[in-house]
Amino acid sequence: MEVLVCVKRVPAAGARVPLTGDGRDIDTRHLGFTIGPHEECAVEEAVRLVAAHGGRVTVLAVGPAECAEQVRYALAMGADRGVLVDAGRSDPDPEATAGAITQAVRTLTGGEEPFDLLLFGDCSADAGHHQVGIRVATGLGLPIVSGVKALEVAGDGLRMRREAGDGVEVYRVPLPAAAAVREGLNLPRYPSLPGRLRARKAELRTVAVEPEPGGLRTVRLRQPADDRAAVVVLGHGAAAAPAVVDVLDELGVV
Amino acid sequence: MDAEDFAAIESAVREFVRKEVVPREAEIDERDEIPADLREKAAGLGLFGWALPAEYGGLGLTMAEDVRLAIQLGYTTPAFRSLFGTNNGIAGQAIVGYGSQAQRERWLPALASGEAVASFALTEAEAGSDPSGLTSKAVPESGGYVLTGTKRFITNAPIADVFVVFARTDPASTGREGISALLVPAGLPGVTVGPHDPKMGQAGAWTAEVFLDEVRVPADALIGAEGDGFRIAMASLARGRLHIAAVCVGMAERALAEAVEHARTTRQGGRVIGDFQLVQALLAESHAELYAGRSMVLRAAEEYDAGTDRRLGPSSAKLFCTEMLGRVADRAVQVHGGMGYMRGVAVERIYRDARLFRIYEGTSEIQKLVIARTLLHPR
Repeated sequence: MEVLVCVKRVPAAGARVPLTGDGRDIDTRHLGFTIGPHEECAVEEAVRLVAAHGGRVTVLAVGPAECAEQVRYALAMGADRGVLVDAGRSDPDPEATAGAITQAVRTLTGGEEPFDLLLFGDCSADAGHHQVGIRVATGLGLPIVSGVKALEVAGDGLRMRREAGDGVEVYRVPLPAAAAVREGLNLPRYPSLPGRLRARKAELRTVAVEPEPGGLRTVRLRQPADDRAAVVVLGHGAAAAPAVVDVLDELGVV
Repeated sequence: MDAEDFAAIESAVREFVRKEVVPREAEIDERDEIPADLREKAAGLGLFGWALPAEYGGLGLTMAEDVRLAIQLGYTTPAFRSLFGTNNGIAGQAIVGYGSQAQRERWLPALASGEAVASFALTEAEAGSDPSGLTSKAVPESGGYVLTGTKRFITNAPIADVFVVFARTDPASTGREGISALLVPAGLPGVTVGPHDPKMGQAGAWTAEVFLDEVRVPADALIGAEGDGFRIAMASLARGRLHIAAVCVGMAERALAEAVEHARTTRQGGRVIGDFQLVQALLAESHAELYAGRSMVLRAAEEYDAGTDRRLGPSSAKLFCTEMLGRVADRAVQVHGGMGYMRGVAVERIYRDARLFRIYEGTSEIQKLVIARTLLHPR
């Protein structure tokens, strides 16, 4: 099974996300980068599928050369090939990103085995547009299920499950297909030390694509109201007991 | 391995220790076991075989690299390192250094992946740091050996798949002569492992007695040649001593970090206690000793790799760093005051955990003997 997993380089922010002065972007000067949890599960699922059914896992990221760090992380998890897509813009929006991936997939599959499965995270960990997977699948004419929490090979296709309100939806999808998966699909592995060494030396393929215009423009990002926990002294010694009881009562503990 | 590759490995181990293990130290101490999911993650990362050769699935690290990883691992509960310490260290290295090709192929890939755990069965009730007094016997019989004896304080025995057992193949021998090393699968009839020992510290690191009651092993269970046992044990222990010294450096770093943080944030009489000069003295003394210990370990590891010294350096580093850790841990408790005596506070655990290092893999007294004998009778 030939599986393509698309990952995005996103800031590894803590509880509070710093913003740039103009409020239009995340201030990444003091942040590390990572891939989002949904996409980490997508890589893990692809590696497991290929381990069970044979084939190869290709990992792709759109963006600047620094995205190699995230592609190599996926290679360390067990992916076989890494691809960087140079879209000529530092931060393409979801429409432009999907256009770049669609072009890259056509380039990668020209004269080679087509991908049986395209995996995406359900949404990116920073922007969270929920668009790229669906746009790529549409562009390539593939069926896609989003919000996938379980995925298995069933006959010639895949059976995918997702939560829907109080129930569960189950889809049978013929291959080739696409899926946008959610965190919880599996427990992603810690990349092994030998895997990290292999990934450091792996050659990444760079695919150049024609930049496509996007349709979204960020006007402004805003921090939510500061709700950091504060310490309240309820009293001293035995005098604090009634106040503590009130708090416990309020919490429903007593 | 080039420096950048190793830096990536060191950074990954550092991150794993601090993100995955440190938050679970209290749980490990309380439950006296390493949680199964943590063991699985450690195996996935490759920690069960980092010191084993690359062709068997390990990383084939040099001693200089090994000690740098050991310093990272020392930062958290020693029970975590102990889980895979025998695979990478004394037991695994005996197979790497002296095992036959068939023995290496049979065991090293499984040890490196964490599918199997190897245990080093040397110590006996009357043969501790000096194994020349051991009495376990491996009597040659019908193309193999029949093993009888009792081993004590055997690390990882309760979870071991295979033991590297040291026993006398020459029943008439005494002292260091006539001892051989044998690979004994844990499932063989006659092998019984006792319950794991309750200990003062290092909860989660399991040791137990191993009883060998007429255990029959084939001739190809022999590691090296008959009579090589003492040499194999000493060679494995020399590497292990340097490794333990490095673990102590890591643990002393943690104890000092805890003490500094406490001194910086805890107030007494309206001032942070770090303002008091006698508290500052405790921190400064610990830092100076820790600096000396780290420098010593790194230098001794370089000399070990170069082959210029595999006795004085490892024994000196083990002696100094284990004793240094004892003092640093003691001062860390002192800086914490009453809090340092409370269960659940890291330095309280470190104080208990630290004590064992001065005893196992050769007591401080044995290290002094090794050092003095080497000085007086250089080869």
